Amino acid sequence: MAQATVLTAMSSSAYRPQKRLRPWLISGALLLVCALMLFPVFSTVLLSFKQQSDVRRTPPVFLPCDDEAGNFNLAACRFVLEGYGRVILLQPNPSAPLGFQITGRIFTTYLPNTILYAFASATFVTLIAAMSAYVYSRYRFRLRRLIMVGLLTLAGVPILTMLLAMAQMGNAIRRAFPGYEERLYMIVVYIGFELPIAIWIIKGFFDTIPRELEEAAKIDGCSPVGALWRVVMPLALPGLLSIFLLTFVGVWNEFIANYLLMSRQDLRGAMYGVYDFIAQSLSSYNALAAACVLVMIPVVVIFLFTRNAFFHAMLEGAVKG
Amino acid sequence: MSVASPQRARPGRGRLHFNRTLPFWLLLPGLLIIAAIQLYPALFTVYLSFQRIEPGTGRYIFRGLENFQRLFSTRQFIESIGHTAIFLVGYCVLAMTFAVLIAMLLRQRVKVTAFAITVIFVPWVLSDVIVGVVWRLFVVPQYGLFSPFFANPSLFPPRGISVLTTPPPPTLIPGIYFPPAPALIFLIFASAWKVLPFITLLILAALQTVPNEVLESAAMDGATAGQSFRFITLPLILPVLTVALFNLILGGINGVGMVFSLTGGGPGTATEVLSYLLYSIGFARLDFGLAAALSVVMTVINLTLVLLTLRLSQPQEER
Repeated sequence: MAQATVLTAMSSSAYRPQKRLRPWLISGALLLVCALMLFPVFSTVLLSFKQQSDVRRTPPVFLPCDDEAGNFNLAACRFVLEGYGRVILLQPNPSAPLGFQITGRIFTTYLPNTILYAFASATFVTLIAAMSAYVYSRYRFRLRRLIMVGLLTLAGVPILTMLLAMAQMGNAIRRAFPGYEERLYMIVVYIGFELPIAIWIIKGFFDTIPRELEEAAKIDGCSPVGALWRVVMPLALPGLLSIFLLTFVGVWNEFIANYLLMSRQDLRGAMYGVYDFIAQSLSSYNALAAACVLVMIPVVVIFLFTRNAFFHAMLEGAVKG
Repeated sequence: MSVASPQRARPGRGRLHFNRTLPFWLLLPGLLIIAAIQLYPALFTVYLSFQRIEPGTGRYIFRGLENFQRLFSTRQFIESIGHTAIFLVGYCVLAMTFAVLIAMLLRQRVKVTAFAITVIFVPWVLSDVIVGVVWRLFVVPQYGLFSPFFANPSLFPPRGISVLTTPPPPTLIPGIYFPPAPALIFLIFASAWKVLPFITLLILAALQTVPNEVLESAAMDGATAGQSFRFITLPLILPVLTVALFNLILGGINGVGMVFSLTGGGPGTATEVLSYLLYSIGFARLDFGLAAALSVVMTVINLTLVLLTLRLSQPQEER
């Protein structure tokens, strides 16, 4: 209910309560808040397009738009792709399709890893959590209450305190099966950590789907699995999608587990790439900013297009714990 | 009926059996993974916290509470508890205050509300590491956008500061790590900026449940805006504020990505909070026993907070 009201606030046809303050005053204040909240992002994007000589100026310049005389002049704005060039590192390569090859490690190693981790974890979390949540929502059995509260408690315990034991586990597996694909371990770890809260959130979605629909399907000869797959799943699809997105973004942004559990650099993801770049880029801050922009663009775009799904899942999860 | 052949009955009974045990099969994968990835490491950490690892052979030797004794007598641990406490107080106060203010603004529906909700939430989808770098770039020595501001001696006597390198001022009371280093204060601002959207949304959702009729009738009876906030809105949203506060504390204790990319624990150990200390003991110094003891301490803190949150929010279970 709570999230529904937030969402109506976003639609234009929202019910308007009494106005005690003048609307333009509130609008002005809100726009100011927006500007302040976006300023760090905006400034980073701007920095990523500066040229090295503007990056290393004292005092620093916010907009690289002053001419020789030091006056602000829009025509003198200097925006370059130098920073991006240092991240992407195009090298001529006659055998590559366009004659150039991307050699920046963020693109050759870290981003592909992150995409793999995020997609695989989000898919399996959604699937497995939906299966479990269906049972918790529809069946009553012994220990159910205990398991549910246990899941909620686990969801609150962060990944950090378990990393030590999991690193040991990883070492043991590596020793037992030399040459196994270590990325599998990373994916399973992410699934395990995102599952409890996902189960709770999806259960909340399932609870809102009337049971009568499945019963009708069963009376018409549908098997329980069929009822789950053909009736409940399609109805829960928006909720499942929001869990998928939430997990995707969560894994995309995860750093510490990935950094500490994966023994080799080429198994690590984009957040490690950015972290590594801090030391690498020395004072080419435009390149560091460009790396940040490139890595954050996908999640920001996903968020902007699917924000309602995020708000839904977030509120559902937050109120639970 | 009575002569139904067993061959024909079995598939039917098999399916019936499968349908009856379906819940079990649906639950199994989730439970297995959670047991392997959450339960087992938790128990193993507790086990590890009682062991000492023999340097040469790597064998575990049971040493009782020795690791805990070592932990509590380490100066670094006491110091990082101090840092964490300062961080948490600043972080919670900042985030809560601004979240309530922004949520109150968002509750008044004006034309820009939908736009504002979307824009304000962008920081929330950014990674800790990215946020750390973004804020670090503000104050990198010399070239950061805000570096001249902090280096200004008349604003920050006596010589101005450089956020990433200025050590903490001398402590007022020995043993209490106050006042904190500029870097820790900066870390508080960066963390609060990132968490603000989430807390704002939580509080906004609670504010939406405050009935307008009550506020209107209070206004008609002559209540000022301040009074109706204090006596109507605040009591109604108090449970959500508590949940938000616990969410903040939990996130604040365990967030470590931003420390990595913003300050790296420095200058010196000035921004070593508990979560970073766990990394530096367990993964940089490889003292597994001590790190396991710290993990156990942190898990106990976390569990207490989670259980308190659950108790306070009281999720409605059955429908």
